[in-house]
Amino acid sequence: MTEVIIVQEGQLVRSVEVQRDQRTDMVLLVMPGVSCDIRLDLRLSGEGAEANVYGAYVCGGEEKVKISVDMHHDVPHCNSRQLFKGIAGGASKVDFYGKIIVAKDAQRTEAYQENHNILLSDGAKVDTKPQLEIYADDVKCSHGATIGRLNEEEQFYMRSRGISLEDAKVLQMISFIAPVLENIEDETEREAVASKFEDAIRNIVKNTLC
Amino acid sequence: MSKDKEILDSIADKEYEHGFVTEVEQEFIPKGLNEDIIRLISAKKQEPEWMLEFRLEAFRRWQKMTLPTWAHLDIPEIDFQDIIYYAAPKKAEDRPKEIDPELEKTFDKLGIPLHERKALAGVAVDAVFDSVSVTTTFRSALAEKGIIFCSFSEAVREHPDLIRKYLASVVPVGDNFYAALNSAVFSDGSFVYIPKGVRCPMELSSYFRINAAGTGQFERTLIVADEGSYVSYMEGCTAPMRDENQLHAAVVEIIVEKDAEVKYSTVQNWYPGDAEGKGGIFNFVTKRGICKGAGSHLSWTQVETGSAITWKYPSTILKGDNSSSEFYSVAVTNNMQQADTGTKMIHIGKNTRSRIVSKGISAGRSQNSYRGLVKMLPGADNARNFSQCDSLLIGDKCGAHTFPYIENANKTAVVEHEATTSKISEDQLFYCNQRGIGPEEAVGLIVNGYAREVLSKLPMEFAVEAQKLLQVSLEGSVG
Repeated sequence: MTEVIIVQEGQLVRSVEVQRDQRTDMVLLVMPGVSCDIRLDLRLSGEGAEANVYGAYVCGGEEKVKISVDMHHDVPHCNSRQLFKGIAGGASKVDFYGKIIVAKDAQRTEAYQENHNILLSDGAKVDTKPQLEIYADDVKCSHGATIGRLNEEEQFYMRSRGISLEDAKVLQMISFIAPVLENIEDETEREAVASKFEDAIRNIVKNTLC
Repeated sequence: MSKDKEILDSIADKEYEHGFVTEVEQEFIPKGLNEDIIRLISAKKQEPEWMLEFRLEAFRRWQKMTLPTWAHLDIPEIDFQDIIYYAAPKKAEDRPKEIDPELEKTFDKLGIPLHERKALAGVAVDAVFDSVSVTTTFRSALAEKGIIFCSFSEAVREHPDLIRKYLASVVPVGDNFYAALNSAVFSDGSFVYIPKGVRCPMELSSYFRINAAGTGQFERTLIVADEGSYVSYMEGCTAPMRDENQLHAAVVEIIVEKDAEVKYSTVQNWYPGDAEGKGGIFNFVTKRGICKGAGSHLSWTQVETGSAITWKYPSTILKGDNSSSEFYSVAVTNNMQQADTGTKMIHIGKNTRSRIVSKGISAGRSQNSYRGLVKMLPGADNARNFSQCDSLLIGDKCGAHTFPYIENANKTAVVEHEATTSKISEDQLFYCNQRGIGPEEAVGLIVNGYAREVLSKLPMEFAVEAQKLLQVSLEGSVG
């Protein structure tokens, strides 16, 4: 069962050890107005263990969001996947740090990590440090990180079909974080979260005239 | 096919082929480092007062600095008082005009075209042997176009205004521990100045060799490309096989003015130590360029196969609007080698673009790290970066690591980073074996294909050498 965590203001420290053939799934959600310092430490310590961590953050004011993930692959045959997507507007500051550590004998590991960010304003700042530390050779590991802006061609496409610029932006941002929200299993919960994010995003678009 | 055969043969004669020592009479100064030694080096080079002051200032700052420890490296303690900071072949009087026959043989062995008879090669060479620049070729041909290409000490004497204007303007004296050390004791190196609108008609090249035992090499390279000019510069290096570790701490500064273009290529093949990790060069180098003017371009290409430990981050400061920079790197580590290398792209100007392609290959018990910084400052409107860092692991005792740092403070700037780590797949090997290609050759083939994107950026003269080097460095790592 996927655990959904609505992150509160302040520090969140989590250590999880995943045993043989066990699986852990986590979705972290950071709403606007929340400054937080998330520290996750996941350890895959039995063969066949699997960990999936997803996160979405939306900042429009003066939030400081810090996320740090250490993913330890200690034994062979484990899989992990991380997907973090976020939007930074206003004067917010986002810091992402994620490390995949594959131990010497942890062969046949598959570990993936992605961190994608959208910068909405000049006052906002995003730093990202994805890291790979790999000591085994029979592995498939990758990470990807991007920091970019909303695609103007997409906006033009929508506007030429009668969708206002404001709505177009909202749609773009919702679809940007959707791949994270999709991992919430319970449908009612997923829809509730999605509509909360939609309201928040609409607010940011309105207030910042971005 | 004949080329493949040649490559195979070169694998067969194995080990570090540049490991010979040349018997030339050498002049040393005493071991150790203090202000007197610096005064002595400065006096030997007949330097003006301002140069000595520059060195002393650097030394005083260096004394207050501590060794950098953030790299993913295991560096044994270095006794900086146990190093000879200056060694030169004797016969100082006739040095620039005539080379010692022994020295000439050395450079012949290395395959460096020092003589005009190799004019067809179209490469102008500045060869640095231990601490001094031995000879610079094609001076007159270059001078006709107003290009200055000479040893650093000569430039200090003959073009003091240029040196004073540009020296330490990109890498300040106190930039980091090794840059400060270099600023205090640097012995020689190359100076290049390309005047406005001139396209340098040939490849310029420096060749560095550490020969004497117990010495360190501290060379300094300064390249200035004035408005609208173009130059392609290559650098190569080798050292004899010795049981001790030798220190190489160089500083390279490149200034690219408006609409100018500089292409800087390195094939680094310092002695990597033996299979047990004994001996080898510590390569602690600071290389940095600035795209100062609008529309300027700086391109770094490096093939790193040597050194026991490599600590090197060729960087570009993209200051001019519309300027661009590229970094292409292949770093191979085998046996007990360690490398922590990458680049920094600092975007300051508008519409600046940078591209990073790094290919790491680790074998044996080596550790190979990519470390890079991409920074978009608030003024870098519409700046763009793309980074691709791949690691290839050969064997289960080595490590491959990726440490990118990405910072963006401009909403119109776009940064993309992508990294993968994998090994040579059984399928690829099987495919080759099935067609009669042996395992070792197959690995060579696959690795060359993997590194092709970078190798194709090298000037012709280097590309063949680099491909062979990759083969030699990896030999013995399969099976």
